[in-house]
Parts: sequence; C-alpha cells; structure tokens
Amino acid sequence: MSKQAVSDTKTANGQTPVAYDPQYILMVKDLKKHFPIKGGMMSQTVGWVKAVDGVTFNLKRGTTMGLVGESGCGKTTTGRTILRLSGEKTGGAVLFNGQEVYDLSAKEMRALRPKMQIIFQDPFSSLSPRLPVGEIIGEAVREHKLVPKEKFNDYIDEVMDNCGLQPFHKDRYPHEFSGGQRQRICIARALALNPEFVVCDEPVSALDVSIQAQIINLLKDLQEKYSLTYLFISHDLSVVEHISDTVGVMYLGNLVEYGAKTDIFRNPLHPYTKALFSAIPIPDPQAKMNRIVLEGSIPSPANPPSGCKFHTRCAHCMQRCKEEAPVQREVEPGHYVVCHLYDQ
Amino acid sequence: MSEELKNTNQTEEQYSLNDDRRVKVLSPGALVVKRFFRNRLAVLGLIMLIVMFVFSFVGGFVMPYGQAEQFYTVTYLDKEYVGVTRNDELRYAVADGQEFGTILQAQFLLALGKGKTEYSYKGEDYTLTEEGADFYSISKADGTVLAIAYKDIVNAADGMEDPAFAVKYEALKAYANGGTSFSADGGDYTLDEEGNILSDGTVIGYISRFVVAPKENGVTITRDFKEKLQEALEDDITEFAYTDEEGVESTYKVSYDATAKVWSVQQKTPSYVYDTYGQPSMKHPLGTDKNGMDMLVRLMYGGRVSLVIGFIVVAIETVIGVILGGISGYFGKWVDNLIMRIVDIFYCIPSMPVIIILGAAMDNMRVDPQIRMLYLMLILGFLGWPGIARLVRGQILSLREQEFMTATEACGIRVSRRIFRHLIPNVIPQLIVTCTMGLGSTIIMEATLSFLGLGVKFPFASWGSIISDVNNSYVMTTFWFIWIPAGICLLIAVLGFNFVGDGLRDAFDPKMKR
Amino acid sequence: MAKKKAEGYLSGKESRRISRANRKITNELEKKRKRKKVPESEYLTTMHDPANAVEFDNLHTYFFTDAGTVKSVDGVSFEVPVGKTVGVVGESGCGKSVTSLSLMQLLQRPQGQVVEGEIRLNLGDKAYDVAKMPYEAVQHLRGNFVSMIFQEPMTSLNPVFRIGAQLNEVIELHDGEGKSKEDVKKRTIELLEMVGIANSEGVYEMFPHELSGGMRQRVCIAMALACNPKVIIADEPTTALDVTIQAQVLDLLRNLKDKINSSIMFITHDLGVIAEMADYVVVMYAGRIVEKGTAEDIFYHPAHPYTIGLMASKPVVGRQVDKLYSIPGKVPNPINMPDYCYFKDRCEMCVEKCSGEYPDEISISPTHKVSCYRYYDGQMPEDVGPAVAVEAEKEPVKAAAEAGQGPAEAAVKAGQKPKKSAAKAGQRTAKAAKGGKAQ
Repeated sequence: MSKQAVSDTKTANGQTPVAYDPQYILMVKDLKKHFPIKGGMMSQTVGWVKAVDGVTFNLKRGTTMGLVGESGCGKTTTGRTILRLSGEKTGGAVLFNGQEVYDLSAKEMRALRPKMQIIFQDPFSSLSPRLPVGEIIGEAVREHKLVPKEKFNDYIDEVMDNCGLQPFHKDRYPHEFSGGQRQRICIARALALNPEFVVCDEPVSALDVSIQAQIINLLKDLQEKYSLTYLFISHDLSVVEHISDTVGVMYLGNLVEYGAKTDIFRNPLHPYTKALFSAIPIPDPQAKMNRIVLEGSIPSPANPPSGCKFHTRCAHCMQRCKEEAPVQREVEPGHYVVCHLYDQ
Repeated sequence: MSEELKNTNQTEEQYSLNDDRRVKVLSPGALVVKRFFRNRLAVLGLIMLIVMFVFSFVGGFVMPYGQAEQFYTVTYLDKEYVGVTRNDELRYAVADGQEFGTILQAQFLLALGKGKTEYSYKGEDYTLTEEGADFYSISKADGTVLAIAYKDIVNAADGMEDPAFAVKYEALKAYANGGTSFSADGGDYTLDEEGNILSDGTVIGYISRFVVAPKENGVTITRDFKEKLQEALEDDITEFAYTDEEGVESTYKVSYDATAKVWSVQQKTPSYVYDTYGQPSMKHPLGTDKNGMDMLVRLMYGGRVSLVIGFIVVAIETVIGVILGGISGYFGKWVDNLIMRIVDIFYCIPSMPVIIILGAAMDNMRVDPQIRMLYLMLILGFLGWPGIARLVRGQILSLREQEFMTATEACGIRVSRRIFRHLIPNVIPQLIVTCTMGLGSTIIMEATLSFLGLGVKFPFASWGSIISDVNNSYVMTTFWFIWIPAGICLLIAVLGFNFVGDGLRDAFDPKMKR
Repeated sequence: MAKKKAEGYLSGKESRRISRANRKITNELEKKRKRKKVPESEYLTTMHDPANAVEFDNLHTYFFTDAGTVKSVDGVSFEVPVGKTVGVVGESGCGKSVTSLSLMQLLQRPQGQVVEGEIRLNLGDKAYDVAKMPYEAVQHLRGNFVSMIFQEPMTSLNPVFRIGAQLNEVIELHDGEGKSKEDVKKRTIELLEMVGIANSEGVYEMFPHELSGGMRQRVCIAMALACNPKVIIADEPTTALDVTIQAQVLDLLRNLKDKINSSIMFITHDLGVIAEMADYVVVMYAGRIVEKGTAEDIFYHPAHPYTIGLMASKPVVGRQVDKLYSIPGKVPNPINMPDYCYFKDRCEMCVEKCSGEYPDEISISPTHKVSCYRYYDGQMPEDVGPAVAVEAEKEPVKAAAEAGQGPAEAAVKAGQKPKKSAAKAGQRTAKAAKGGKAQ
C-alpha cells in the first residue's frame, strides 16, 4: 500500500512542470540517477544502483550551497548529474537559468558548458598528464573562442595570476606540481571559461590543512570577484559550514535535510544530521564528547532499506519508518527535512 | 619581454622555500630515460639492437659484395677420359673388294678351334694360314687373301689415315715374324722395335695389343699419350701426369675393372663452379652458402629485410589497432561490441594454416619476390592488429573514466580533440612497449615463415630463409657457419627487442620507483 | 624558448652525478644492513628512561632520490612513554610516516636509509637500537613488539584469504608456540570481539571484500593487537573512513587504549583526531619537529607559528569567521634545504633572528619544547586556552605575533650568538618578502 503511495508521488513529481523563478540560477526537482548493474551471461541489467533518488533544491544566484554526506551517499553523482556529465538522468528536472539542461542538443549543450564548470576532488587524476599546464587551462578558452587570439596569452596569465599561479608554470606538466597547486590549476581551468555556476566536488579533501585554507579562501575571493554560484560538495562539515550559505545533507541518494546554514548547524533536525555533526572531532583535548555513534555502516544503494532509508541506523526509528518513506517537509521557513519525526 | 627578463634575473637570486624553482627537478623525459638506463638488462638489449641495426643497415654498405653476388671456385673433377682394353679377341680386316661376313668368321673360328687349316662353306673352300702368333690369314681356294684375323692392332698414327689393308697385312706379318721392313702396295715401310710403321721416315701407324678408346666425342688420343698410358698400365701405376704438346699438364687416375677387363682412365679436369658451402676464410669470414653467396653479406641484407619487415608489420598492426581500438574504447556500446567480436574472430583464425595456404598460392602464381615480400607484410600486419586493438581499447576504457576526461567534457571540448589530445597521448607509452615486444615476435614469425619456405624468397634473404637452407642433417652438422650465425642474429635481435620492451615498460610506469 | 623550458630541470650531467653519489652511499648502507648473524651486542642499548617504550634520538632518515637527497626526517628526537599515546601531526611530506617506517625498518629500500641517530626500543628486559639492527633481526621485532595499522584497510588485507585465516596466521607466526588450532581460533574470536565486532564467528569466515571499510579497519586493529605489541603505530587509521565510521573507530581505539598496555604512536594530519586521542603531541614540519609537548600544551599554548597557523586554518564547526586564516606559501620541496628556519618563508611572525641558522629546540615548560627564535629569552606563549576552538582565529595569531616581537629583539640585543652577517640576512629577508609578494 505504502509502495503505491510512493510511486504515486514519484510520477506526480516527475510530471509537474517546474515554475522558473529568476532568483534561482539552478532548480533541481526530484532528480534521479540510477546506474544499471550489469550481470549474467549477456550482461543484462540485473538491478539498479539508486545513486541519486529524488533530490530537490533551489540554488540562489551568487550563493553557495554545501552538500554533505558520507561516501556513497550520492553527493558526487548529484553534482555530475546536474552538469549532465554522467549520461542521461533517470528522472526529475534540472533547470539552469530556467533552461532544462537535459533538453538541449549536443551542440547547444557544448555552448552552455562554459557557464557551468566543475572542480574535482582528486587533483592528480583530473589533469591530463601529458599536456602542459598552459594548454590545460587555455584549451577550452580557445575551443569556445572566449577571447580574441591576440589577447589569449594575457588572458591566461591573468587567470593564472588570479588563482595564485606564476607565468612560468605554463610550460610545466601537472605531475611537477604539489596537490595544492594542482587544485589551483583545476580552479584556473574552470574559471578561465568565465562560468556562472561551479560544482566544487570535494575540492579540498585531498589537500593538507594549510593548503585547504588557501584554496577555500581562494574560492571565496573568486566568488566575490566574479559573483559565482557554488555547489560545494564535501564530507567535511567544518569546511561546508565555513563556505556555504545553504546546506543540504544527503543520505543514500536522498536529501534528508536542507536549509540555511545557520538553521542546519544551530538546529539540526534529522537524526542523521545530528549524528553526523556529533561525529566531528574537535581540536580540544578536554572537549566533552556527547557522541551519537551510529551503528553499522551505510547500506548498499543497490538495495536500500524500505521506508525511510535511514531507519536501519536511526536511534528514533518507529514502526512507521520501516514501512513508509517520509516526504520533504518545511519545518521552519526555508528549512526542509525528510523525517517522520516532524510530521505533526 | 620584461617578464622574461625578470625570470632570468630571479634564477640568480636565492629562491624562497615557497618557490618551486628553488629545487631543480628531473623533466619527465629525463625521468623516463633515467629509469630506462638504470635497468641493466634494458641497456644490454639496447646495445644488442644497436649492434644489429648497424650490422644490418650499415654493414651492407661497408662490405664489398652485393647481396646476390655469387662466387665461383675451381674444382677438379675426375672425368672419364679413355677406356683401355687389352685386346684378347681376334679382329678381322677384310681385303679391299672382298667380303668376310659373320658366318664366315664363325666358320673360321670353328675351324681354328678344331685345328683345321681348311674349311668350306656353301660349297666354297677357304684356307687359313697361321702367319704368326695370333695372326691368321684367310684365303679363298684361288689363293687370294680374303681377310686377316689378328690380335695386335694396327693403328693409324696421329693425323694419318687408317693404313690400307695391304699395309696392315704386311706390317702385321713383319711384326709377327720380327721383320723390320716390308713393302706393300708399291711402298716400302720399315718397322721399328716399338711397333711403329714408318714410311720414308714418317710414322704412319703403329702396332699395339691395347685398345684405347676415348669416352667422349671429339677427343683424339695421341700416340704419345697411349704409350705413356701403356707404360703406366704395365707398371701398375694408378696415377700419372701427362703433359701434352700444348704444355697443359693433367693428371690421370687409372683404375682397372677386373670383370670387364677394362682400365678406365679418368682425367682430373679443372671446372669453374659456384663456391657452394665454402668454408670461412679471409675472403668470406662466414663462408658461402649453397648458392655460393657470401654468408656475412647475406646475413647483413637478411637482417635488413627481417628488421624492415618487422617494422612495417608492426606499423600496419599499430595503425589498424589504434584506430579500431580507439573507436571501440571511446564510443563503447554496440560499436565496441562489434569491433571486439571482430577481434575475437581474428583471434580464432588459425594464422599459420592461412599463411601457409596463401604462401602456397603465391608460389603457384609465381609472384615476384619483391611483391611477395609486400604481401607477406600486409598479411602479417592484418592478422596481428587485434592484440593492439585490445590493448588500446582497454587503456582508453580506463582513461575515459578518469576525471580529466570528465573535465574535458565539462569544458565542452570536441570529441576528436578529446581522443587525439587527451586519450591517445596517454596510450602511447603502453603502445610503444607493446610494439617493441611485437617487433621481436614479428621477426620470429617472419623467420618461421621463411624457414617453411613461405616468406622471403631468393634472391632476397632474411634470417629465417638463411636458416632454412639447412634442410638436412648433413648440412647442419657439416656447415655450421650457415645456420649458427643466422640463429644468433635472430636471437640477439629478438632478445634485444624484448629487453628494451621490458625496460621501457618499467621506465614508463610511474609507480616503478627503481 | 628552449632555454626557458629547460629552466628548473636538472641537466643530464647533474643527474648522473647525483645518481652516482646515491649509489655509493646506499650500497654501503645496504651492505651493512644485509649482514647475517650480527651479534646482539652490536645493537643492544639502554633506554635513557625506562618508562619510555620508544625513544627517537636525533633520527635522520634520508631518501636518496634522482633529484637529490631528500632529508625526510632530519634530526627528530622524541619519546613514546609506556602506555601513552603520542600523536604525530604534520602535513603530507613532513616526515611523520617516515619516522614510523624507520622504526619498523619498512623504508623503501635502497633509496630510504636511516643515516644517523638512534631508535631505542624497550623490550622490557633489554633495549635495542633499531637503527643499527640488520634486516634479519628486525624481522623478529615486527608484530611481536611493534605492529602497525595502515591508512587503507582495503589494501592491507589480503583479498583472497578469509579474515579468520589471516588473523590465525599472525597469531601462529608470532605467538603460536604450544597452541592448538582451537586455541588460536579462540584467540582470534576474542580479538575480533575486542575490536567491537559483534558477529565475530561470522566475520571469521568472511572475505575482506564482504566487510565495510570500518569493519575492515577493525580487523586491521585486531591484527595489530594480536601479539600484544609494545608499540602500535597507527598511520592515519581513520583518514580513509567516513566521519561517522571514524567516530566509531576512534571510540574503539580510545577504549582499547585503556585495556591494553601498549603505547600508540598515532600519526595523522587531523588536529581534531589528535586532540581526541593523544596524550603527547609532536608537530612536524619539513622533516623536523617544530613543537612537542602534552596535548594541553599544544592545543592550549601553541607556541610555534606553524602550529598556531595550522590550528587557525582549520575551520571548526560552530566557530564563525569571515575569512579563514591561511598559512601563505606551500610546503617546501625537501631537497637542498637552506640552513634557516624552514618555516621562515611562510611565517608571518618573523623576527630578525629568523634569518640565522635553524633554531635549536628550546624548552618553554618541562614538557613543552619548541624550535623557534621567538622564545629564546624564556618568553611564554600566549595562553589561548580552549578558546582557539571558539574565538576568531586572528586574535591569538596577532597576540602571539606581538608577543614574539619583543623577545626576538631582546635576544639580538643580548648578542646571543650573533649571526654571520646581519646585513646579509636582512637583505635575504627582504628578498624573500619580495618573492612572496610576487607570488
């Protein structure tokens, strides 16, 4: 019976056209991305990994949204699906400046690419190892003819300078750089295209603490300078708190809680958010630990639990949680949570 | 400009610890080179290859001979020259205008056997007279001499006409009776003790019991030679030398066949032949092969052919393999499926039988050796690409999932650019390694085919075809210089390619620390 | 153009010279290490303090690489007391892992070599100097006296053997004398329960891939505990784990710490984790210890500008700042380090003396030692208290900077070993500053 209800809401959400609101650069409505599991003799599809299973949020121009969650919760896939980088979506809508991204032809999509960029987590695998840095940064600029030829070199120098790179770095190859500098190169590559919206996919988690701070500051400076909009994906709550204006917490493909940063951090509602926050180690030897230690580990997204996906690890699990999936609810103005505890 | 100036100035200064110009590092190329040269085996392989290349490509120019230049040598053959028999049978000479048929001869022998002096045949009577030892004359009843039967033979002297019957008769008569002169047909003749018949001091013939018959047409045997030979026979000498009037000295071998009662005299004649299987010498350091060609030069040119075939085959394989593998890996889905099934089919083709059949067909069509070589390369290349296609596909499949490829997509870079600027350069190290290894196996394959007679054909040489000259155990055990050097060349080249390939793989692999 | 490209790269000649020199050194050291049947007396030593499990004394571990000698650990001295946890913090490449690998003699050979110093390991009745031990003898120490927990639980377990078999093997190898198969299995189950695996019998039969990352790390911990080692080296044991799983593992380690009598050397880059786990903290930078002391010393009275900067640059939940403090510059390439404070070029609290040679270690309290010129006249660091977690980070930095100004000048005035050429040093500072600006 409950299943019926779920599928009903799904179809309803999928078909509802999203009304465009110009203050939002990005509107994501019930986004779904399922990956097929191939198996058997003829490599037929034997199941689906529901990496992103209904994510809804809106992102205001010039702001930063933090997306947190553990590994495997689908935050990276969300980022890439928004940018149409992992094939076709399974369901839902992604509106960039009011334009459905998945409706564009390949040619139109290519023309749109410079407007929405991505910075990756691993600065070692995200740079072509056999191209010099100047080429990595400038390639797409030339491809899209963003600057006239004669100004090209100066433009690249300017972008590199903005990202804290020196001109002599241009002729060097990525492997000669440290992690922090590589991340600067990645940022420079994204910024050279003059984007409006950047997905930062764990841009600092592979870096050292002192370099992390530099990169975070750089990202913030650039945001001010170019009025960028960020979707900042990270598992590091402290970083997300520092950089974000709104925060979404993901668990197993679902956005379980979403709202303004202050709301989320001062008043976390979802039991998972609470547990997540309490797990952060505090650099104070005498700090009192009031940890909510979650039992077990994150279930497989190929076979998620029924009802509320978190019920297997939740301390407040009710009978209802096991049967019925909760829906997103606005508990306070602008503070959404997906939990049966707040149904009243 | 000013920027450059500043840069150069800064190198003089002491860099701060934050500046990565403070420490000099190894450039990527230098790193690979360094790792390669640290591998002793790889360096050995490189040296081996360089030696083989110099040997094959430079050696040909240094050596004074051409690849198909044949060499000759003089060998002495024992040619049957004459046969000598001692005459033990009666021979007949018939007087001019008379007839003495075989029946009469038989009747004569019958009578002789019975010791009669007369016999009759068909109503006619014949008288036989013993004129001397083994010398008889047969006369008709009317007294005219019909024929003579003799064992000592009257030969004409060199350049003389056969003596007339009367001369023969008188000469034999005198010879049998120990006379020194006789006259016949109105001429006076003398007979010396050696049996020479002289007329006015010139020898016109001689009498001898031996019959010397030349074995070849057009050979005339001089009197002098006959006498020398006779002496030799009497002294039981098996070999003697003779200088003819022109001063050419030859040696002769005499052997006696007891059953046929024939002395056969063989002349050692010099003959000008191909220097087949010549032993190593100063002129030919590795001897000559069965066609009389210099082995060392053949090896050099053979190396050239083997290496060039190797390179061209691998180049063909690589071009096809990279294109199909690249397409397959990048586009995936049904394209990938299709190409990979083609690859599977190619893997199933039993290449050896196919090549053998094609080789035999080419043999049959008498394809020009040069064009044949071209076909061989095409066939080998066409059968060899699936391995490379698989490698490239695998590499590209894994590279495609790398974040830098996602980044190129996010930047909206063209597909062709993505493949050729971002994917292919990253496959090249593995490709170089596989190609280097492939060179070795292609050379072996070519050698095998040439050995089977399907590959490179005369006048071109390849290491394989040189070895294939050794097709029986006699040649193998006796003429080591034919196949051992070629085998060593093959070994060095293939081993060299494999060592270098291994070394390159290690050098290109950034995970290899040492 | 070609010349410009070649800038910053080693020429073939230089690189050959480096390789030759490296080969000479490493061959000699390797020969010494590979000897067989070395008498025990050669590496027998006595602990300076019997209450210590390990004493690192002036340890120098160098890597002889193609680009030059990397002084990964360059004169490190600290102690790990029995039953205590020492946290080693630092950024990547600071030598924290190399220090622990030196103790295990697991350095990548033949480039990595301990060239100087002692590592005294307390075995209870005697002590060994690990730095002098040949490979043959070290084998016996691993597992029995020193064991290790690695960062990647995925790769440190063999994927083709069952968990039980892998644990049994360790027990049998080091501790198996006179034990029957059942005894060994009993011990394995016991260990699995000890690390908080409820379904111990089930996990015993499982393969590593059937376990989640957290469970795998638990198994690794069990393995490290199998032979009751004197010292456990935990090399970033929670870095690869999710926050919630990290919390579980840290809880486990903290509880185990009380149960077992082993010392733990806890290596991490995460200050939060260190604060939770460690009794003593060692802060490393570019192969040297810049500051060491008790956890309270380090977290409440950070003295070295690097420590201060490190703490300030990590955003903390609940502490709102407008702009995050960040240490400028980058971790230096550890080749051909100059002889002045390695942090000088990134330091915002530089005093004049900093251009001099590398500062010696100075005690600012009985437990707290720091290598910085700012404390040469006995000045105490500002007590930042637990405030660092809550207050705006700029304050302590500024305060410390102000505090630092005074003592340094005083030290110069006092003529405490005047440096070679003050003028030259000053010039260099100016240049460095210019360079920094340019960047």
